[in-house]
Amino acid sequence: MKGIQTGDADALSQLYDRYNGILKALILRVIHNEAEADDLLQEIFMEIWNQAKNFSAQKGKPLGWMVTLARRRAIDGLRKKQAYARAEERLQNETEQQPDAWVHNATEEEIVLSDTRALIRKVISTLPPPQQQAIDLAFFRGMSQREIAAKTNTPLGTVKTRLELGLKKIYDGLKELRDEL
Amino acid sequence: MNFSEFQNRSRLYVIGALEPEELEEFEKARKKFGKKAEEFITKCYALHEAFALSLRPAKASTAIKERLMAMVRAKKET
Repeated sequence: MKGIQTGDADALSQLYDRYNGILKALILRVIHNEAEADDLLQEIFMEIWNQAKNFSAQKGKPLGWMVTLARRRAIDGLRKKQAYARAEERLQNETEQQPDAWVHNATEEEIVLSDTRALIRKVISTLPPPQQQAIDLAFFRGMSQREIAAKTNTPLGTVKTRLELGLKKIYDGLKELRDEL
Repeated sequence: MNFSEFQNRSRLYVIGALEPEELEEFEKARKKFGKKAEEFITKCYALHEAFALSLRPAKASTAIKERLMAMVRAKKET
């Protein structure tokens, strides 16, 4: 990141090689369109290049900063294109094959996860499905509590409780994971 | 709002899930708790990283990197 802050294009190239897969997966999870995800990924890395001077190591890790940026851009993109309906349709079509949906039963065909991913998934999998769903809709779809309540036909207070409990469990689980990672 | 409630709200805040009426109250508490609040919010952003890492990486097309680096080089030259 320091290299990028000094205008070193090779440093950006290395950063891209290291993190493009993670960021692309995140974008794809939000917008469910391969070509749009690729275009957005390029825009996001360009923004990383342009905004690198604003990154502060004191405020977190580079990956966290990039993920925050990528998620915001992906959700903005989704809203701007008013693609909710289309994404919803695709999401429903893909549910059966979607390997990265949180709420699913593990299958033998599931690709072996990396250690880090497996550990994080392990924490997430301890949450009851309604909590996983609420967090999934909030984080990957950018939905508000009211939107989640409407979509899941659940009282607003219940959605709030699900989000609070689920996020606390994940947060606490991550603290324990840090020793293992 | 006590600090425990603030912590719960902070986790919702970082994923953008606070409702507008909660946001105002949250910002007041954020000022009240000062540095301790900022440190906790920073820690909560680890959730973003974790959610991204929970996904199976997806490979981007090689053309994307070529286009990106061409744009960066062009920008450096101007």
